[in-house]
Parts: sequence; C-alpha cells; structure tokens
Amino acid sequence: MRRVVVTGLGAITPLGNDIDTLFSSLIAGESGIRMISAEGPRGPFTNLGADVHFDPTLYFPPQQRIEHYDRVSQFCLAAASMAVKDAAIEFTDANRNKAGVSLGTGMGSGTTLEETFTQLLLRDPDRVKPLTVLKVMNNASAGHIAIQYGLAGPDLTYSCACSSSSVSIGEAFRQIRHGYADVMIAGGGEAALAFGFFKSWEAMHVLAFPDRANPSASCRPFSKNRSGLVLGEGAAVVILEEREAALRRGAHIYAELAGYGSSNDYKHITKPSVEGQAGAMTLALADAGLSAADIDYVNAHGTATALNDVTETRAIKQVLGDRAYKIPVSSTKSMHGHLLGGAGALEFLISVLAIHHKAVPPTAHLDVPDPECDLDYVPGRGRVDQDLRCVMSNSFAFGGTNAVLIARQPD
Amino acid sequence: MATIFETVQNILADKYSVAKETVTPESTLESLGLDSLDLIEMMFEVEDAFNIRVPQEAGTALKAATVQDVVDNIQKMIDEGVAAPTGGGQQP
Repeated sequence: MRRVVVTGLGAITPLGNDIDTLFSSLIAGESGIRMISAEGPRGPFTNLGADVHFDPTLYFPPQQRIEHYDRVSQFCLAAASMAVKDAAIEFTDANRNKAGVSLGTGMGSGTTLEETFTQLLLRDPDRVKPLTVLKVMNNASAGHIAIQYGLAGPDLTYSCACSSSSVSIGEAFRQIRHGYADVMIAGGGEAALAFGFFKSWEAMHVLAFPDRANPSASCRPFSKNRSGLVLGEGAAVVILEEREAALRRGAHIYAELAGYGSSNDYKHITKPSVEGQAGAMTLALADAGLSAADIDYVNAHGTATALNDVTETRAIKQVLGDRAYKIPVSSTKSMHGHLLGGAGALEFLISVLAIHHKAVPPTAHLDVPDPECDLDYVPGRGRVDQDLRCVMSNSFAFGGTNAVLIARQPD
Repeated sequence: MATIFETVQNILADKYSVAKETVTPESTLESLGLDSLDLIEMMFEVEDAFNIRVPQEAGTALKAATVQDVVDNIQKMIDEGVAAPTGGGQQP
C-alpha cells in the first residue's frame, strides 16, 4: 500500500504566523485569546475571540489584488505558500497532473458575506461589489491555490463544520494512498470573526464567558469551571506526499500520516455521542494498523463545552482503555481558540510538530479538576523531551461528522 | 471638469495600472491588459464615476470595445438618463 508523509507545514494563527512561534507559544501555555473590538454593521462591538494579526501585503505582491480574496482565502494562500516553501517542492509538467488541493472551511467567506449584505441592505440597495460571487464561494481558496502553483489534480473543498479540515486532510491522504494523486496541498481555514457570526454563536449558548480579570484565560477545556468555546480564526496547511516519491527527492519528512477514521453520530445535529467519536478513533487506529498501546499523545477536540469534554473523555477511554490514563491528552483550543473549519488542520499540524519537537503542548487554564474528566490533560505548561511514536488528532462537529487523524514518527 | 475620456483614462491608470500614455481612443480594453473579470469590475468603477447604472444587457458589450466605444456608451447612458437610484451610495 502507498504510504503518505508530511513534508511541509504552514500556518496563520492567533499565536503567530509561523510554525516556530506557534509551537513555542503553545509549549509555554500562552494564549491568543483576547477581547476584540471591531466595527460592526451598526457600530463598534466587543467580543471574546482569538484573532490573527495579519498583514496581507507580506504575502501578496501588489499586482495580485488583495481585494479579490476574502480573508479566509488570504489566510489559506499565505499558509499554503509557507508549506510549499517548507517542503521545498516544485510543481512542473512532470508532477502537476497528480498534484492537487484539499481544503476545509466551515463558515466560508463570513466577513465578505457580512460586508456584502450590510452594504446591500443598509447603504446601496441595487448592487453589490463586482466579483462578490468569486470571493464568497467556499472553494475560492482551493481554486486560487491550484492556480498559484499550477496544480491539475483533484481540487476539493469540504465543509463539515468543525471537522472540515480534518476531513480535507483525511480525504487528501486517501487520494494519495489510492493512487489518484502523488502530492496534495491539504488543510483549511476560517475567518468568520464578524458581528453576525458572533451573534449566531452566542445564540447557541456555547461561547465562553469572558474572564474579567484575564480574558486570555477564558477558554478552559476539561476544567470544572469551563464555560464554553472561544471563536478563533486562521488557517493551517500541510504538504502530503507519497512516501517513496518524497524519499527520492530527499524531502524532509516531519511525520507519516498513518491513518484516518471518519464516522457520523447519526442521532442529533449538535449533541455528540461516545459511540460516534469512539467509532472514528477505532477506524483510524485500524486504518493505521495500530493499537491503543502505540498512541503516545492525543490532541483532543476539547472545545471546553460541557457536552464535548465529558463525551470525548469517555470515548477516548472506551477506545484506548487503560492506555488512556497513561498518556497525555490536551486541548490546544485553550490557547488558539476554536478555528471551526480550520481547527482540524491546525491541530493536526500541531500534532505533527509535537512529534517533530518531542514536546507535548498543554491544556492551558485547567485549574479546577472535573471528576468526569479524569485523564492527564497536561494542565498549564507543555512537556519537553517526550518521544512520541504516534499521535491521535480528534475533530468532531455539529452535523455529527467525526474525523480522526493519526500521525506517526517517520521511520 | 474632466472629459469622459480623461475619467476613463484615470480609472484604467488607477485601478488597472495601465500607463496613461498608452490609452488612446483606438486601444481596446483587451489590448490594455484587462481580462474578463477586470471588465466586470471596471463597469462598477464607471458606474461610480458617472453616477449611472450600466444595464444588465449592456454588460457583455465591453469585451471587444475600444476606449472610444466605452466613452460613447457612457455618453449615451448619461443622455438617456440611466441614472443611479436616488440615494444610491448614501445612507437609507
């Protein structure tokens, strides 16, 4: 069977716009969550969030007009350019037909949609900006990446809420494993920190209450005093390659993408199920030909909602048994927030970096243990000098889509 | 006050980085380097500059057009009063 390796990484995140800053911030337990003040359709507003500090002119030459790209496409293109550079891969007539893109996004071009409808409904009732369609379509990012690098293979976009970019990476993995592609630019992003989206999530009653003394500590996965998730934005992109081809060109291999499992809860549109989550983990282990004993770290979905954290803890215990109590399980959402459609890609990238740097990122702000969440969640600060053979990265979603990826140390 | 030609020339220079001296009445928009999406965008700029609305059916006429064709069409739309709705671009 064809094996798939990770040879390049790129990320635009609330913890920095390069993978080294991102990972060192995570290990130190630093948070990118803060009170964000922005201009909404009806005036200024303030919300808890994890935003990206991003200067598009650093990534786009002046002739490539930034206003043609929604913020999520700007993030995805910037992350892709970092990943391609990191992989030191060139796309030519020799490889472009079997090179593709697979991205995930949940809310798509949220900020452009809000601007467009605000303009249309409040200001100019008979027209919107030209090329709006091309900015807001969910596959804009993937299309632009294919054009940028001249990729003629599969060009795919997945939207399954918070599992979107775990699915996009998992499906890209299958494209390579099954021979349809030799290299895939895979990942995803989200940029929906707009007024209407904050209000929509607020209405779901799943957002964290701001910690008045320290807003950056507002997201507390697995902690008894957790109060919900914090919306984040950003993008993460990995370069996946068929292993033999990567070895032939002397590529640096961060990790092997060893397995992918996908399942659905099929019971409720938001309520997670132990069986569904455990099902995806079990499938991923079987897909990788691994057992519970091989897993040395789990990067949890860990949203800090009451339902997720208890359900996920039970599912991990059901699949890993005693092993669940012996290994670190952490939620990095405590620091970078919930990137929704970009979350799976960012957390898989962090899992790969954990193997690469032999370090486990913590669950920040876990101060009050919850008896129902009784695993080792690595509270506070990260751990270094950890030899991680295999790492499991979990993503679960509204809609019930569960997606689990397993990264393995390269051999 | 700038002529229609000068205004079109300014739009081409400001938004599409076309060197002003290369814009003549005879040059086609294609020859100035504008692609099909640029033409769609340029109509928006034209609407703003002259406070008119280009009718939907007139939208595809720009492709092979020369700058003089564009100027003539704008003059025609101004004469026919294809004006922007009252309050267009303003608060409700």
